[in-house]
Amino acid sequence: MIGDFIDGPLWYLSLTVFLLGVVWRLVAILRVGVAPDFSTARHGGAGGALRTLFTRSLPRRPVFTRGKVQLIAGYMFHLGLFALLFLAQPHVEFISERITGFGWVTLPHWGFILAAEVAFAGLLLLLLYRLMNPVTRLISDTGDYTASLLVFLVMLSGCLALAQAYEGLRLLHLLLAELLLIYFPFSTLMHAFTFAISRGYTGAAMARKGVNA
Amino acid sequence: MYRPVSGTAILRLLQLLIVLALVVAGNLSAQTQAEGIQLPNPGTDLWREVRQRAQPATPGPTSPMRQAPGIDLWSEVQQTNPVPAGNTQVKSVDSGMLINPVGDQWRRFRMEMLVPYGGYVLGGALLLTLAFYLIRGRVPIHAGPSDKRLLRYTVYERMIHWFIAAIFLFLALTGLTMLFGRSLLIPLLGPEAFSLLASASKEGHNLFGPLFLLALALIFFRFVRRNIYQRGDLAWLLRGGGVIGSKHVPSNFFNMGEKSMFWMLVLVGGVTALSGIILVFPILGLGRELMALSHVAHGVTAMAMMVVIVGHIYIGSIGMEGALEGMATGYCDLNWAREHHDWWAEQCEQNGEVVSVEEAAGTEGFAQGAPKHAPLGETGK
Repeated sequence: MIGDFIDGPLWYLSLTVFLLGVVWRLVAILRVGVAPDFSTARHGGAGGALRTLFTRSLPRRPVFTRGKVQLIAGYMFHLGLFALLFLAQPHVEFISERITGFGWVTLPHWGFILAAEVAFAGLLLLLLYRLMNPVTRLISDTGDYTASLLVFLVMLSGCLALAQAYEGLRLLHLLLAELLLIYFPFSTLMHAFTFAISRGYTGAAMARKGVNA
Repeated sequence: MYRPVSGTAILRLLQLLIVLALVVAGNLSAQTQAEGIQLPNPGTDLWREVRQRAQPATPGPTSPMRQAPGIDLWSEVQQTNPVPAGNTQVKSVDSGMLINPVGDQWRRFRMEMLVPYGGYVLGGALLLTLAFYLIRGRVPIHAGPSDKRLLRYTVYERMIHWFIAAIFLFLALTGLTMLFGRSLLIPLLGPEAFSLLASASKEGHNLFGPLFLLALALIFFRFVRRNIYQRGDLAWLLRGGGVIGSKHVPSNFFNMGEKSMFWMLVLVGGVTALSGIILVFPILGLGRELMALSHVAHGVTAMAMMVVIVGHIYIGSIGMEGALEGMATGYCDLNWAREHHDWWAEQCEQNGEVVSVEEAAGTEGFAQGAPKHAPLGETGK
């Protein structure tokens, strides 16, 4: 009964909330617009925006020397999570069956496990850093911890269901993933989408000014 | 994945269920007390029967065993003599061996030694800790908490400590579920719920196991220098760290007990982690003997670590006033340091590293470098 609900209506509800919520948040940000720039642009903004979108992913020396742990753990978590979410066979099959109708190449089982190990290590280290460092603890609020905890629980329930033999474990994983989807648009997890806007805006503004940033 | 089941699959499932039902029914009536469990184990009776039938016959013309036509067959099946290599299409390690007696030895060790004695040892450690607390009580800061603090652990050090702590606790819980669940949890949860829990525990345990090795490496490289034994450590050990008697025992940044725990964690924990990796990756082409040996090493060393960690958690939390503060905030109370790590505290005071409570609250171990500690051999007075 509850399994049918999680597998059916709640899945569609959470997906709808996620999609509408993300679109609503992005439109709201874009509608704010930017202040007019009356100065003569030294360079076009588009190239700067595109360049910054990628260059900001590369570690800069001051960042690396002062924050090795956050940097390494951050890469571990994000790359591991990306691989888990979009390249793990169970997820690709799920997305193919429920959303896209087609699948794509998946990681071998050992790759899946390795990605999970890397993602878990990164997430745990980042969460502990947030808790231990007085600065990050000061600027963190309930929403940050809720998001971290939800992501952790989704990953943990997924790893507990790795045997793919128990419906109860699969449903628990799906339920937590659905809760995460519902929470996503209203949380700082939106940075998965807004980072592109933020970097693009900064890159474009700096390019117009002729600043290499 | 969860695909629609075909008619053939349903038939196979029915066949499997019928066979399982027959085996379960047959075994329920022949429960053995030797294993101290009330649930059927299909392999136990079968193997016992094999052993009985393959008992070496007593010499003598009237021995019924000599007349048993299957004696030679059963002797070969049991393979107690040098193992004859069989032929099979399956090409893998041990694939030519029908029944490996090492598997039975391992099973008996697990069921008859590791489970009961491991339980006694772990339960005993918990009871001993409780008794110690009731008798000795919480070790106070005799001079009382001060308004001064010393930086004891940086953010990174506390982070990797809690990293390994979280992973260890998860591995311990899931490991204990797999080891004792059959005896303790099935009566509480029932076999179906336990089956789900055991599967989840196994998957979680296997996935988090390699992370323990990573955490262990981080801990090792960060703390190894401060855990090298120094002059003065032996005196600390001989006087039981102050537990025996009432005389104060001086120590360095880490005392002999902490250093010994560090080395136990590194060495014994290393064996636990490496044997666990052998168990997780049977695809490495290892034989049954090494797998069984790895399991024995994994179980025994993990149990030893759990016993020691029970003591570590106790003394680091409710057992001693001020002990948790260092690992929680990065700073420890000056009076606590003077009473438990006085050589280190003395050096910090000489170096002017004492800060106020307010200063400590503002930074909380934000300093990136390791806390100053006595260079080797300079403080053992």
